[in-house]
Amino acid sequence: MLVLLFIIFGGLAIGCAINVVAQRNPLYCAISLIGVFMSLACLYLMLAAPFIAAVQIIVYAGAIMVLVVFVIMLLNVDEEERRNIRMGLLVPAAVILAAALIGEVAFVLWSVSPNPTLQPSDVGLTNSIGSALFTSYLLPFEITSILLLMAIVGAMTLARRTEVLPPGARVVPGAQLLAVSDLDPSASHDVQTPIKSDSSAEAAQILGIVDRDQSKRD
Amino acid sequence: MEPQLSWYLALSALLFTIGVVGVIIKRNVIAMFMCIELMLNAVNLTFVAFASFFQDVTGQLFVFIVMTVAAAEAAVGLGIIIAIFRNRESLDVDDASILKL
Repeated sequence: MLVLLFIIFGGLAIGCAINVVAQRNPLYCAISLIGVFMSLACLYLMLAAPFIAAVQIIVYAGAIMVLVVFVIMLLNVDEEERRNIRMGLLVPAAVILAAALIGEVAFVLWSVSPNPTLQPSDVGLTNSIGSALFTSYLLPFEITSILLLMAIVGAMTLARRTEVLPPGARVVPGAQLLAVSDLDPSASHDVQTPIKSDSSAEAAQILGIVDRDQSKRD
Repeated sequence: MEPQLSWYLALSALLFTIGVVGVIIKRNVIAMFMCIELMLNAVNLTFVAFASFFQDVTGQLFVFIVMTVAAAEAAVGLGIIIAIFRNRESLDVDDASILKL
């Protein structure tokens, strides 16, 4: 029974994975990848890891793939065009190397002994994972939270649209673009002249605005 | 007969290889990204299989952390993809070759 389930879900995973690589439309790739995630979640259930199976569905199929599909829809990605690449001698070389690799892996997998058997245990339950995560593995857990925070900040920085400038403005790398009203609140607020400078003080000098903090310090 | 540990390892190796092939032959950044996710999942399957067969919870904790890293990678990677698309109007990796000598 378990063998049959393994064959079904393993075959489904491999078929969907091949479809991910073979499809040209990224949206079809994404949907096949969701199939891979689902069948892997079923395999995790067979391996007595219900928590990991649930997290697989929620995080991968739920969160990450929604993000990917969202980006695909947002960018309106077109299909990859077919292109001809000269292979020549690469094809027989690839076949020979792949055969050698498959032979090695098969030898290792079939010759390793003893083969452990799956016994009933409470290793995969949420209880044991949670108690281990918050006792002996607390430091990796906290580091992961810092990593997520960094990812949030990085994603916001990368995807931020910085062009709220007038169409004629020229942006120089390393320079800062400021409006007059940012430097001098007493100036009229509809003045939007963009200027180039590396610092606010330099911008004020260019615009002829007296830097009040500077003069106070002097 | 029950599924053996080696079956899971073979399946995982196969999935990982398919992911590697995808990263190599794909031209679209998003498709390459999805193939990387496929490779991460193949490794996760290995971890869970070992954790279950040797009854050690550490493997499943590692899977949990790998999933977190994958989520962070998805957020940052898709941000980079959006930035590339904004600059070049294309998602073809061959177009983004400005660092090539």
